[in-house]
Amino acid sequence: MKKNIFIYTTVLAFLFSGCTDDFLETNTNPYQISDESLRQDNNHVGAFFPTMLGNIFGDQIEHNLAHDSWARHLGTPTPFVGGINNTTYYIRWNTYWNRCYNSVFSPSRRVIEIAEAEGNDVFVAWARLLRILSASRLSAYHGPIIYTDYGSLENTINYDSEETLYNTWFAELDDIVATFTANSDFGGMSAFDASYGGDIPKWIKFANSLRLRLAMRISKVAPALAKTQGEKAIAAAGGLIMTAGDDFKIKLYAGFFPPARISFGWGDTRMSATMESVLVGYEDGRISKYFDPATDNTLYPDHPNYPYKGIRNGALLVAKDDRLTFSNISSDFNPTTSDGFRRCFMSAEVHFLLAEAALRGWAGAGSAQEHYEQGIKDSFAEWGAAGAADYLADDTKTPIDYNDPKAEGDVNDFVSRMTVTVKWDDAADNELKLEKIMTQKWIAAYMNTIEIWVDHRRTGYPKLPFNYKNDSNADWGVIAKDANGKTTDFLRRLPFVNAERNNNTAGVADATTKLGGPDEIGTRLWWDTGGPNFP
Amino acid sequence: MFLVQVIAMQLLLAETSNSQRLENVKVTIKVEEASLAEVFEKLEEATEFIFGYNKRTISKNDRLSMDFSKESLDKILVKISKETGLKFRMINNTISVTKKERKKDAVIEEQVADVALSGKVLDENAQPLPGVNITIKGTSSGALTDIDGNFKISVPGPETILIFSYVGYIAQEVVVGSQTTIDINLELDAKQLDELVVTALGIEREASTLTYAQQTVDGGEITKARDINFLNSLSGRTAGVEIKKSSSGPGGSTRVLLRGDKSLTGDSQPLFVIDGIPMANNRGGQPGMWGGVDGGDGMSQINPDDIESISILKGSNAAALYGSQGANGVVLITTKKGKSGAAKVNFSTGLTFESVLLKPDLQYKYGAIGGIKESWDTNPGNYDDNYVDDFFRTGTNKINSVSISGGTDKTQAYFSFANVSATGIMTNNTYGRNNITFKQSTSLLKDKMKISSSVMLASEKAENRPAAGYYLNALTGLYRFPRERDYRVFKDNPTVNDPDRNVEVMNWFVVDHHQSNPWFILEGQPSVNQTKRVISSLNLDYQLSDKLSIALRGNIDFADKLNETQYASGGNTTNIHPNGRWDYSKFTDELAYTDAILKYNDNFGDFSLGVIAGSSYQKTTFGKGVSVNTGTNGLLYANEYYFQNLPQIVQVNSTISSELIKQAVFVNTTLGFRDMFYIDFAGRNDWASSLAGTGNESYFYPSVGFSGILSQIFSMPEPITFAKFRVSLNRVGNEVPYNFITPSNSVAASGGVTRNTVQPGENLKPEIITTREFGTNWRFLDDRIGFDFTYYNITSKDQFLSVAALAGSGYNSRWINIGEINNKGIEIIVDGTPIFTSNFKWKTAINFSKNVNKVISADPNNEENFLSTGSSEGYIAQFRAGGSIGDIYTLSFQRDDQGRILLDTDTGTPLRTASNEHEKNYRGNLNPVWSLGWTNSLDYKNFSLNFIVNGKFGGKAVSKTEAMLDEAGVSKRTADDRDQGFTAINAVRDGATVTQIDPEDYYRTIGGRNGIMEPYVYSRTSVRITQLALSYNTKLTSLNLPVSFSIVGQNLLFLYIDAPFDPELAMSTNRNSQSLDNFNVPATRTIGFNINISF
Repeated sequence: MKKNIFIYTTVLAFLFSGCTDDFLETNTNPYQISDESLRQDNNHVGAFFPTMLGNIFGDQIEHNLAHDSWARHLGTPTPFVGGINNTTYYIRWNTYWNRCYNSVFSPSRRVIEIAEAEGNDVFVAWARLLRILSASRLSAYHGPIIYTDYGSLENTINYDSEETLYNTWFAELDDIVATFTANSDFGGMSAFDASYGGDIPKWIKFANSLRLRLAMRISKVAPALAKTQGEKAIAAAGGLIMTAGDDFKIKLYAGFFPPARISFGWGDTRMSATMESVLVGYEDGRISKYFDPATDNTLYPDHPNYPYKGIRNGALLVAKDDRLTFSNISSDFNPTTSDGFRRCFMSAEVHFLLAEAALRGWAGAGSAQEHYEQGIKDSFAEWGAAGAADYLADDTKTPIDYNDPKAEGDVNDFVSRMTVTVKWDDAADNELKLEKIMTQKWIAAYMNTIEIWVDHRRTGYPKLPFNYKNDSNADWGVIAKDANGKTTDFLRRLPFVNAERNNNTAGVADATTKLGGPDEIGTRLWWDTGGPNFP
Repeated sequence: MFLVQVIAMQLLLAETSNSQRLENVKVTIKVEEASLAEVFEKLEEATEFIFGYNKRTISKNDRLSMDFSKESLDKILVKISKETGLKFRMINNTISVTKKERKKDAVIEEQVADVALSGKVLDENAQPLPGVNITIKGTSSGALTDIDGNFKISVPGPETILIFSYVGYIAQEVVVGSQTTIDINLELDAKQLDELVVTALGIEREASTLTYAQQTVDGGEITKARDINFLNSLSGRTAGVEIKKSSSGPGGSTRVLLRGDKSLTGDSQPLFVIDGIPMANNRGGQPGMWGGVDGGDGMSQINPDDIESISILKGSNAAALYGSQGANGVVLITTKKGKSGAAKVNFSTGLTFESVLLKPDLQYKYGAIGGIKESWDTNPGNYDDNYVDDFFRTGTNKINSVSISGGTDKTQAYFSFANVSATGIMTNNTYGRNNITFKQSTSLLKDKMKISSSVMLASEKAENRPAAGYYLNALTGLYRFPRERDYRVFKDNPTVNDPDRNVEVMNWFVVDHHQSNPWFILEGQPSVNQTKRVISSLNLDYQLSDKLSIALRGNIDFADKLNETQYASGGNTTNIHPNGRWDYSKFTDELAYTDAILKYNDNFGDFSLGVIAGSSYQKTTFGKGVSVNTGTNGLLYANEYYFQNLPQIVQVNSTISSELIKQAVFVNTTLGFRDMFYIDFAGRNDWASSLAGTGNESYFYPSVGFSGILSQIFSMPEPITFAKFRVSLNRVGNEVPYNFITPSNSVAASGGVTRNTVQPGENLKPEIITTREFGTNWRFLDDRIGFDFTYYNITSKDQFLSVAALAGSGYNSRWINIGEINNKGIEIIVDGTPIFTSNFKWKTAINFSKNVNKVISADPNNEENFLSTGSSEGYIAQFRAGGSIGDIYTLSFQRDDQGRILLDTDTGTPLRTASNEHEKNYRGNLNPVWSLGWTNSLDYKNFSLNFIVNGKFGGKAVSKTEAMLDEAGVSKRTADDRDQGFTAINAVRDGATVTQIDPEDYYRTIGGRNGIMEPYVYSRTSVRITQLALSYNTKLTSLNLPVSFSIVGQNLLFLYIDAPFDPELAMSTNRNSQSLDNFNVPATRTIGFNINISF
C-alpha cells in the first residue's frame, strides 16, 4: 500500500504541476496588437484611420465592375461568369456592404467608444465624418441602410429610410464642423492623417463640401431641405474645397493603385466606349492623361488622329483576348513610386456642384458659367492637360458615334445620345445648362465615379448609352427593354445583400417598405424621382 | 513478433505405447519466485524431456515457487497449469506448452509416435521453431518439433500428407513422397486472431478482447512497394480508410480519411501516433483552383523501413486515451525495436522509375488562325505531336536503408539509416530525404525497471514541386500551346531580353494570366520545401508488483521548416511584379508530450480486471516563425530575394499558426469474465487552453464497450473456429481551434491597424462526436476463412461554424456551436487461404467499405444556406442541411421537358443554367459510394507475388482541365469533331430540333473557365492494380544470408477508369477542391526493383 500512495502522489503532483493559469496567454496570438498595447501613442484611436480611409473605395468587383462600368468610364474586355454579371445587369457581386461595415463602421465604432470615454472630441468627429462618407457611398448602392441602429445586438436590425439618413448626416455634420472649428489647432491627427496631414481647417472644407454634395443629391426629392443645407454649406465660415490645394485625396500608403492592377496586371479593364465617344468627339486634351493609345492601329479608322479605342459597357463579349489591344488606362497609373493616392473630392466637383446650385437658385452660389468654366479649368490643371481655353470656346464638337471593330455588324455599336457642345450658352434654358454641367462633371470625375453614377440616375445626364447586353431577369429585377429587345433603362440600385436577406429577414422586409418598391435592381432610390430636373 | 499461441489444435489423443509416461517420471525440483522459463529449464535438466513454447505464451509476470522431491512430472505440470493456465502436450520426448483456452481442455495430453521420417522446421528468420504440430492428414497422429525445431514421425506411406501448423504461422501441407527428411520454413501469419494488437497509448491487448474495430498492417507489407510516403502504401489494405495521394510528385502529402468527413469546417484528419505518443502531421499549403503547390506533410518524413506495424483505429474509441485529437480515428505506428541476440543487419536497396500513366487526350492536327491562343483552324496541318510527351521525363526513386539490431537480455538497441533520392517527371523536381533512427532499451533492478529511449532524425528537401491550378503552372501553357506555332522557339529561349530594362523576361507568344512559357516556369520559379526534424522520446516502466506497474513517458517532436519560392522578374503580370516576387516562410513546429500511466491487472476467480489510469500533458506550438510574400507589390531590385530588397509596402510577418496546451486525466477499465465477455469503461477529462475564458475549458466524456466471444460461450459446430461480437458507444469532445476566444487586431501594411472583426467566442464549448459501433468476426475451418463485419453510426454535434455576426455588433463574423453531421457505414473484411500446399500458397483478403454522409443541420440562421467546400467558376462543391459533404453542383445545360439542350435563339449556342439554380445544377457527390480493396499474396517455392487491386465505385470527379482544353481547341475530341465536320447534339433552337452544331461554337460555349461544366463531370469509378511485388527469396550460398530480390510497381494500370484523369490523385489533400483536376500533374506509374539482405 505504501507503494501505491507513492505512485498516486507522483501522478497527482504531475497532474497539478501544470495548472491552467497560463491557458489564456497560450491561447492569445502574440503577433496581434491588443487594445491595451494600442494605447501607446494614442494609436488606440488613431491607428484605425489609415485602414478606414483605405476602405472608402472598393476594388475590382465593388468598384471597377460596378459604378466604373455603370457610369461608363471603364469597360471590361472580360466576359466574367460566362458574360453574365453585374455589368450586364445580372448580380453576381454585391460586396461594398461588407467593406463598409467591416472595415469602416466596425473600427469607427471602436474609435468613437474610446474617444468619447476619454473626451477626445476631435477623433470622435473625425471617425463620424468618415462614417458619413462611407455610408453615403453605400446608400447610393442600396438606398436604406443600417445607420442609426448600428451597434444593436438584436437579431433584427432596422434600416433607416433615406430621408432619415440624410437628415441624420446633416445634423451630424453640424456637430462635426462645430467640433473641428472649436479645435482647429489640434495637432493629434497629424500622425494618422496622410490626406491633410492633420490640418483641421482642410477637414472642415471637406465636411462642408460633403454637405453640399449630399444636399444636391436630394435637390429634387426634398428641395427645401436641399436648399437649406446647400446654402448652409456655401455660406459656411470654413469654406469649401475650391482650389487644388484643398483637394481631398486618400493616400495608398505605398500600396498598389487598384485600377492599375486590374488593368496592367489582370487585363480586366480598358477605356470605355463612352469615354472614346466623348473625349474624341470633344478632342479633349485630357484623353492622353486618362488613357494609353490602343496597341492595335487598325481599331480606330474613324478617328486616326486619336489612336484610342474603348469597350462598350454591357457589351456582348466572346473572349477576353478580343479587346485587350484597346486603350489601357494611362501608364502613368502604373506605379513606379510609392506615393499614389485615390481622388475622393476634388475642387472641380465643388465648382460643378456650385454651378448646379446657381441654376437651382441657391443663395451665394454665384455664377453658373463661372463655376462651370472653373470646374473644367481645375480638371485640366489637375490632370496636367493643355488647351482648356480653346476647349471652353468650342461650340461645334460633340461626342461621336461608336463602332466596335471586334464585333460583327452593329453589335455593341451605338449612336451617341449626347448632343451638347462644351461652350457655355447663358441664353440656354436650365435643362441644357444642367446637361452641360453634368457632362463636364462626368468627364472630370475620372477615377472617382461614385457621384457621377448618382448624378446620372438623379438627372439623366450625361445621356449615356444603354447596355447592349441586358441579362436582367426576375432573379434580381428587370431593367426595361423595348419591343426589339433593346435596353431602354439603366440599373438603378443593388439589392440588399444575401447575408442580410438570410440573417436579418425582418430588417430587410422593413427596409424594402422604406425603399418604397421591390428589393430589385430596377427600383429607384429616394432621390431618383424620375421627375423633371427643375420645377 | 506480436504473435502468441492461444488456439490449440484439438487433436484426438493417439493411444499411448509403453514408452515412458509422464506419471512415471520422477523429479526433484526446488525453486523460489522463478520464472516459467527457469522452471522449464530445470525440468529439462532433470528429465529427458524438452519443453517447446513461444516466449510470448509465458507471462513474464508469472513467478513460481515449488519444492518437490521425487514427484511425478504429470503432477508437477498440473500444478504449473493451475497457477498459470497453461496446458501441456507430450509427443515422445517433447512437451509443448500452450495456453489453456477452455475450462474443459485437458491439462496434459500424451502421445507416442514411431520414427520413420525426420526433419526440421524453421521460422521466417530461419530460426528453429519448437513446438510445431505435425499431424498426418486424416488421422489424429502426429508429432511436435523439439527445441531445435527437429521432429521425427512415422508415416503410413508416400501418399501421406503432413500438416505443419503453429499458431501465428501459416499452416503448410506437405506430401511425403519418397522423402525421408523434410525441412520446412513456416511463414508468419499477420492475420491471426489472438495476436496482441497495439492499442491507444501503445498498450498491447489481445485482439479478442477489443470492443471496437481495428485493423493491423505489417511493416513488411508497407515497404513492399517502396513508396516514399508510407501512408500511400495503406491504400486498399484496410476497410474504411480513404487514402489520396497528392499529385505533386515525390514526397508529397497524403489525405487520409477514416469513415467519412465529420466536420463542417475541419478536414477530419486522423491522429498519428508513434509508439504510443502523438506526433505532429502538419500539412503545408495546398493548391486550389487558382494555383498553388503542395507543401508536403509530416508523415513523409518517417522512414518506412523503421515501421514494424501499423494499427488503425477507425472509430473514436481511442478518444478516451488520446482525447479529441483521436476523434477522427487513430493511425498507430509501431516502430522496430532492438532484439536480444546476435546483431542482425538488414540492408535494402531499391530503384524505381516513374512515368506518365494517364494524361489528357490532345490533338496536334489543327492550329490557330491569326496568331490567337486557341487552335480552332478547321484545315489540318502537319504539326509536332511529340512536344507534350517530350516535356515529361522518367522520374527515379532511389531508396537505400540499413538497420542494425541486437543486444543482450538486459539491453537492446536498434539503429537505422535511410536515404531517399528521387526525381519527379517534371524537370527540376527533386526530392531527397535522410533518416537516422536510434533506439535502445535497458532493463534494470532485476528487470523491474525498463528504460527505453528513441531518437529519430529526418532531413527532407523537396525542390520545385509542380503546381496545379490556373496560375504559374507549366501545364496550362504546355497543353494549350497553339499547334501551328513552333514550340522550340520558346523551349530553347524561355526568356528574352527587354532592351528598355536590360532584364530577362519571359518569352511567350501572348500575355495571358492563364498561361506562361512552361520552360520559363520550370526554370524561372525555383522553389524549395525543406524540413529538419527530430523526434525523441524517453520511456520509463517500473513494475511495482506483479499486478501494478507505472510508466512515465516524454516526447519532443521538433521540426524546422523552410518554404521558399523565387519568381523571376518578367513572368506573368497577374501574379508577379515586373521585378519578381518572393514567397518565403521559415518556422518551427513543436510538440511536447508527456504522460504517466498506472496499469493494474488482476484476476478474481472467473473475473479478470485491467485498469489503466493516467494523466497527460501536451503542448503544441505550430507555425512559429517568419513569412513574407511580396505578391504583386514587388521587389526594390529585380531578381534579388532577401529582406533588404523589400519595398516599404511589403510586410514581413511574424507567424504562429497555433499554440495549444492540453491536459487530461483518464481511466480505462476492462472487466473480463472467463474469457467469454469483456466490458470496457473509459472516461476522460480534458483541459484545453483554446477554451480558456469560456468556462468550458474542462470537459469530460465517457465511453463503454462490450464484447462476447461466442465460441467460448457456446459449443460451436466444427467448422467455426472463432466467433465474437462487439458493441460500443463512445463520445468525444473536441476543443476549439487556437485563438478563437480572444482574437485581436493586426498591424496593416499601410502602417495602420486592422481591427479584429471576429467576435470573441466567449460562449464556445467543445464539439461532441458520438459513435455507436457494432461488429462481429468469425473464423472458420481452422482459420482458413475469416469474416469481419462492422457497422458504425457517428454523429457530430455542436460543430464550430463561422457565421455572420449581428450587423450591429461591430464584428464581421462570429463562431458558434451548431450543426449536426451523421456518418454511418459498414466495413466488411473477408480473408482466406484458398490454396495451401507445401509448394504453393495463396492468401487473399477483400476489404469492403461504404460510408453515407448526411448533413442534418448546417447553418442555424437559414438551413437553405450552403457551406462551400471549394468553388470556382462552375465547380461548386457545397452542402446544406439534407445534403452531404462533397456534394457537387456545376453550371449545366438548360434543357426542355424532353431533356433536349436549349440553344440560344441568336447565337445557336447552348444555354446554361444560372449558378443559383441549385436543383438543376446538382451533379452528385465527390466521394465514392463504396470502396473495395483486394490484397493477394501468392507463394510458390522461392517466389512470392503480392498485389493489390483497388476499386472505388460511384461518386463524381470534375475536370476543369478538359474544359480549358476544349475551349482552346486542343483536346482530341475537338479534332475528331472537326474531322467529321460537326458535333452531335440533341438540342432545340426556337422550337426546331438540332442534331449537329459547329464544334468551335459548341466547345467554346461549354468549355473554358465559365462554360457549362456539366459535360466535365465524370464518374469517379476506377479499378486499378495499386501495388505489385514479385520477389525471389534465396540465400547467398557462400554466406548463407537470406536475400530477397523483388520487382515492384505502384499504380501499374487501370482495369477500369471513366475520368480522363486519376480521381484518386488529389490536387489538394485538405478538404476542399476534392476530386478536381485543374492542370494537375498527370498520374504516374512506378516500376522498379528492390533487393533485401539480412545477416
